[in-house]
Amino acid sequence: MTERTIHVDYLARVEGEGALKVRIRDNRVEEVQLKIFEPPRFFEAFLRGRSYLEAPDITARICGICPVAYQMSSCHAMERALGMKVDGPIRELRRLLYCGEWIESHVLHVYLLHAPDFLGYPDAIQMAKDYPEAVQHGLALKKVGNSLMTLLGGREIHPINVRIGGFYRAPTVEELRAFRPELEGALPLAEEMVHFAADLDFPDIEEDYEFVSLRPEKEYPMNEGDVVSNRGVKVPQDRWEDVFEEVQVPHSNALQSVRKGAGSYLVGPLSRYALNRDHLTPRADQLARSVGLPDIVRNPYKSIVVRGIETVYAIEEALRLIEHYHRPERSWVEPPPVTKTVTGAATTEAPRGILFHRYRIGAGGLIEDAKIVAPTSQNQKRIEDDLWHLVERSLALDEATLTDACERAIRNHDPCISCATHFLQLDLERQ
Amino acid sequence: MSEPTLSIRPPPGPLPLVIGVGNDHRGDDRSGLEVARALRPRLEGKARVEECVSGEIGLLDIWRDADRVLVVDAVRSGAPSGTVHRLEAGDAALLGFRGATSTHGLSLGEAVALAAGLGCLPRQLVVYGIEAENVEMGVGLTPSVARGVEEAIARIQAELESDPTAAFPTRNPAHA
Repeated sequence: MTERTIHVDYLARVEGEGALKVRIRDNRVEEVQLKIFEPPRFFEAFLRGRSYLEAPDITARICGICPVAYQMSSCHAMERALGMKVDGPIRELRRLLYCGEWIESHVLHVYLLHAPDFLGYPDAIQMAKDYPEAVQHGLALKKVGNSLMTLLGGREIHPINVRIGGFYRAPTVEELRAFRPELEGALPLAEEMVHFAADLDFPDIEEDYEFVSLRPEKEYPMNEGDVVSNRGVKVPQDRWEDVFEEVQVPHSNALQSVRKGAGSYLVGPLSRYALNRDHLTPRADQLARSVGLPDIVRNPYKSIVVRGIETVYAIEEALRLIEHYHRPERSWVEPPPVTKTVTGAATTEAPRGILFHRYRIGAGGLIEDAKIVAPTSQNQKRIEDDLWHLVERSLALDEATLTDACERAIRNHDPCISCATHFLQLDLERQ
Repeated sequence: MSEPTLSIRPPPGPLPLVIGVGNDHRGDDRSGLEVARALRPRLEGKARVEECVSGEIGLLDIWRDADRVLVVDAVRSGAPSGTVHRLEAGDAALLGFRGATSTHGLSLGEAVALAAGLGCLPRQLVVYGIEAENVEMGVGLTPSVARGVEEAIARIQAELESDPTAAFPTRNPAHA
């Protein structure tokens, strides 16, 4: 009997800290564990007793890369709880803010975190020596995303301008129009990024994913739409818990999500693209065709190309939103007084996939209960499945090569492990 | 095609630039921000002071047009907590510094190395690193790190006031 164990104690180029354990016995994979040992997050508990108005600012602190996602899911959940309707220019500004976050997050991953895997470099620093233009383009594009977030959010990380009902201040038409040259300059850079990504060498692998994303009627998903899957799921976005559940596993501080009665599923760019390709702009759609991207991408390595397509889309969408923008008379919808206990939930599309928030607010407006399910914890089990298949295919590889291959497979899904940790209920763990 | 430019940041001036890096909500990781905030009123008219909360990679953007830059950040190198390190961009030890928290995949040393590789280091760069002890979620500095913050404030102020315009004794190798 032979037994091999692979440990990766520190996962590079992944936001947050994680580790991986794989056990192989007699040439069969026996165990794959993606571990998360970032200190547990107390956010859900921390929110209890705070005013519901504080939720967007508090939850934005969960992640330095996707604060907008936390603000959007919390705002929509609170507004649903209070029966508020937010539309018109405020709705469009929220979408514009999300475009900024998608751009900066996707570009960071494509050029600085993911591309080194394909080109054979340990990191972007080494890659920059041979591909300085690619890295420069990445930094320039990322900056456009960050600047858009600064323009709308007041600052690029943890925007301070978002509130329940809208924004503290809405930009003027002139302020937004002045930003158009940045976006127009970014568009060809983003198209170049797609070609750069599509020209990489990809392992010839397909996975049988259950893709899960939002699907609005008329647009590529960000803040609106039902939660749907390619296997028949279709529920309103506040009913996420009807279909999915979180389960605790002993090896991780994060809870893993599964579809009830089914199993792992995938959220993020591959899922949005598979379920909403018909909502891409003509230019993004044409670009996807020209680089040979099929309507459904099941090769996880090609997520780098899909992130590029979504970046092109986000830039075009931002230009469209700015073109049609009219400054609202009031920059926010006034929330009604909270006179009884209410509950509301919402799901929005963070760069890494759907982010679910649910809150119960008591009379007077204090949060009584909060639940936050980050995209990475939804993908965690699916990433373990990818790894299981990879190791099965790759048993002949030596230790170091197999370890590298596993790290690559994890980075395909751009996991944000900082976001994925919850407070683990110790009493439950003892059972 | 020209690179996109931005109109949001203040225009670069001849003044030295002090950049505090960190995260207010990760314990001692806020030490660089604390130093920047304390220095801002004291250095008025003598230096620009910026805060970098978007991870160390944001430095490449903030110092883009600056000539002389002092960065202050929480670091973990194994030294006693609160130790204040002073390094210049060419120091090999810089790359060995892990960031106090994992931010976007780049540590302070890596951000400097990336900038060097891309030829976008400031002409003169000094890094003050304050050794962190606790970077768990939460607000507040460890007492030893709070003393390190005071030391860094005094040393950076002295460095800028003793010779506010002169070049540093050594230059970055990239510009040598």
